Amino acid sequence: MIDKFKQAFQEEAREILIELESALLELNEKRDDKEVIGRAFRALHTIKGSGAMFGFDELAAFSHNLETAFDEVRNGRLQVTPDLINLSLDALDQIKAMLEGTDAGRSDEILAKLRELTGAPEPHPAGPAPVPPTAPPKTGATRDWRIRLYPGPDFMKSGANPLLLLRELRQLGDLRVTASMAAVPPIKELDPERCYVSWEMLLTTAAVPEAIRDVFIFVEDACELTIGPAPGQSDAIDTKSSDAAPVERASGGGRRASDKPESASSIRVAAAKLDQLVNLVGELVTVQARLGEVAARREDPDVLAVSEEVERLTAALRENSMSIRMLPIRATFERFRRLVHDLARDLHKQVELTFEGADTELDKTVIDQLTDPLMHLIRNSMDHGIENAEGRRAVGKPATATIHLSARHSGANVLIGVTDDGAGINAEAVRARAVEKGLIAADAQLTETEIFSLILAPGFSTAKQITDVSGRGVGMDVVRRSVEALRGTLDIASKAGAGATVTLRLPLTLAIIDGLLVQVGDARFVLPLANSLECVELTERDIEASHGKPLANVRGELIPYIRISDYFDMKRGRPPHEQIMITETEQGQFGLVVDQVLGDHQTVIKNLGRLYRNVQVVSGATILGDGTVALILDPHRLVQDAMRTLSPDKRPSGVAREQAGHRQKPRNGTAAHRVLQNESFLSNGISYGRYIRCSPYHTTFHRERGASHLLV
Amino acid sequence: MPITINQRQSHYVTCLQGAITISCAAELKRLLLEALASGKDVQVDLEQATTLDVTAMQLLWAARRESERSGTAFAVVGQVPEQISVAVRDAGFESLPVSAAPK
Repeated sequence: MIDKFKQAFQEEAREILIELESALLELNEKRDDKEVIGRAFRALHTIKGSGAMFGFDELAAFSHNLETAFDEVRNGRLQVTPDLINLSLDALDQIKAMLEGTDAGRSDEILAKLRELTGAPEPHPAGPAPVPPTAPPKTGATRDWRIRLYPGPDFMKSGANPLLLLRELRQLGDLRVTASMAAVPPIKELDPERCYVSWEMLLTTAAVPEAIRDVFIFVEDACELTIGPAPGQSDAIDTKSSDAAPVERASGGGRRASDKPESASSIRVAAAKLDQLVNLVGELVTVQARLGEVAARREDPDVLAVSEEVERLTAALRENSMSIRMLPIRATFERFRRLVHDLARDLHKQVELTFEGADTELDKTVIDQLTDPLMHLIRNSMDHGIENAEGRRAVGKPATATIHLSARHSGANVLIGVTDDGAGINAEAVRARAVEKGLIAADAQLTETEIFSLILAPGFSTAKQITDVSGRGVGMDVVRRSVEALRGTLDIASKAGAGATVTLRLPLTLAIIDGLLVQVGDARFVLPLANSLECVELTERDIEASHGKPLANVRGELIPYIRISDYFDMKRGRPPHEQIMITETEQGQFGLVVDQVLGDHQTVIKNLGRLYRNVQVVSGATILGDGTVALILDPHRLVQDAMRTLSPDKRPSGVAREQAGHRQKPRNGTAAHRVLQNESFLSNGISYGRYIRCSPYHTTFHRERGASHLLV
Repeated sequence: MPITINQRQSHYVTCLQGAITISCAAELKRLLLEALASGKDVQVDLEQATTLDVTAMQLLWAARRESERSGTAFAVVGQVPEQISVAVRDAGFESLPVSAAPK
C-alpha cells in the first residue's frame, strides 16, 4: 500500500514538475511577473512538502533549497536572471532524476552554484535531518486567527497528514486545537482510511495570512478550510493585508488539482480503459448497423422505430467517446519550449517560440506520434534555417528569430504548421547536394517544389557539419515516415531569405476511417475515401481501345489501372460490369478495378494483429453490418506492390505510364523523369514529386502541363 | 506485524507496535472489531508504539465509544510513550483513556 502512495506521489510530482518547467520558461520572458514567480514557488513548495511526506527526503531537502531561493525572489530580495533560470532548470532535471531514481549525483554541484547566486550560507545537509521550515514573513504585532479544517473523503488518501499540518501551524505561533469527533461513524461503518475528525483552532501569530494559507497549500482541494480573524478581534486592518483578511473557503473533495487558474473538474483515466471503451462503441456501431438492416427487412414499424432510436443513440455515443480521446495539442506544443530554449542556448542563437491554435483538439493516438516529427522539424529550423543574431541583423531582421507552431482544423483534417523566419530552404544547395548523392543527374531540370521534396530522401542533408543537433540526414526521413504512418501529407514551402513553413495535414483520428466500400467477387474491401477521386465504368470499348494494355481513357487522360481481383489472385472469370475507382496514390493517379462500389462507409479500424504487421497493403479490417469482415486497403502500397508483382500483361508498363501524361510529372525525356521511371526506385516507394504539394507561402507555384509560372 | 492480539480469559489485549498509520488502519479496524465482538473487556497496549496518526487515534476513539455502548470496558494499559501522549494532545483529542488496570 505504501507503494501505491509512492506511485501516486510520483505521478503528481511529474505533473508539478511540468508546471514548474513551464513557469520557469515563462519567467525567462517576464522576469518581474509576480504571478509566474508565485507559480514557481508554489510548485517547489508542493514538491518539497509532498516529497517529505512520502519519504523522498533527499528530494525534499534539495527542493527546499530551491524553494528558499524563490522565496527570496518572491520577496524581491533576489532578481530573476538568466543564470538563475538556467540553474533552476538544471535543478529541475535533478529533481526529476531523484524522482525516477536515476539520480546523477549533481545535487551538491547545483546547490553550490545556487549558493553563489543567492549569496546564501551553507544550507542544512540533505538527509535524515528534518526539513527546516521557511521563516514566514512577519508583520509585527500578533493577531488571533480562527482556522477551521474539515477534511474531505479523500483527504488522507491524497497523502495529507493533519497532524503534520497542525505541527506546521504551531511553528507560526501559539495554537489551541479542538478536535471534533462529531462526524465519526460507528466503528463498523467507519472507513479506516478516511479522516472524519475536524478541527477548530485558534492561532495567535505575527505571521501574515498568506503564511497561514501556505500551510494548507497542497491539501486545499481535499478539504474545507476557513481562515479568518478570530471573533472579537478589532477590525482595524491595515491596507496591506486587507485583501487577505476576508474568510477563505476552499471546498471540494477529490485529488488536489495542480496550481492552474482553470482547475476544471476532471478525472484521470488509464488510456487502456479508454481504448476498451472506444472498441466497445465500435462494436456497438457495427451491431447497430446490422439491427438497422434487419429492421428494414422486417418492415415492422415498431422494430423500425426502436432501431432508429438505437441508431441515433449509437451515433451520439460514438461522437462522445471519440471526443473523449481528443486532447488539445497545447501540451505537445508546450513541451517544445524547453527544447527551443536549450537549443537556442547551445547554438548561440536567439529564438522565440510562439503558438497559434494550441487548443485545437486531436485524437490521443495522433498526438502521441506527433512529438517526434515536430521535434525534428524544429531542430532543423533552428540548426539550418535560422541565422544567428549578427547574421539576422545584417539582413535587417530582428535579432530574435521566431518559430511559430500552429494548429487548426480543416474539414476532417488538422493542419499543423511549423514556420520559421530564418533563411528559408536554399534550393541551390539542396540541388547540388542531390547531384552529389546521385539522386538526380547534374543537368536535371526540376521545379522548386521537386527540389524541396528531395529533402525527404533518407540520408539527405545539406549540413556541412554534423552537429549534435542535426545533420545526419535522418530527421526529415523520420518526419516523412511519421506523417505517412499517420496517413497524412506534408507540404513544404519556403522563400529564400524569409523563412520556411512545413505543414502536416493529418486525419483527426487514426481509429476511424472514412472509407468507400467496394465489392470484388465474394469479398468486400474498403478504400480510403480521402484518396478516392471518382468512379468510372470500365467498358468493353475501353478494353478494346487500349489494345490490351490496362489503361482507361478518362476525359482524354489515360489512367493506368489494376484489377484488385488480379492482385489478390482471386480465380474467377471477368464479370460483365466493372468499375474503376480512380485513386490518388504516391505513384500518381491509378485506377483500382472492382465489381461494384457499394457506398460510403465510416468505420472503426481494427488491427489485424501482430502476425499481419508486415502486410502493408492492408491497413486493417472492419466488421460490416452483416458480420462479414472487409479488409481496408492502402492504395499506395497496393499500387506499388502490384507494379512489382503482377505479370506484365496485367500491369501498366513503363511505356504506358509515359503515355499516361500525369500532371506534375517532370517533362518527358529529362533526367529526373528517367530517374523517377526507374522501377526499382518506384518500388521503394520513393516518388517525392507526388508526395509534395505546392502550397502558398508568399507566392504560389503552379505547374500546368510543362509550363510553370508564378501566381502571386 | 505492528498489531498483535493477546486473548486472556477476561480481556482481549491489542498490542500496537511501531508506527500505526493509515497503512495499517484497515487491519487495526478489523482487529478492534474482533476484540469488541469477543464481548470481553478490551485493552490496548501502546508501550511499544512509536507513532499514532489520526486514523489510528480515530479508530481507538470509535472503538472506545462502541465498547461504552455495549457495556464492556475499554482502556489503554501500560506506559504510554511520551511522544504519543504529546501527539494525542496536540491533535486536540481528549487524552487517551488510560487505566491502571493490570495487564
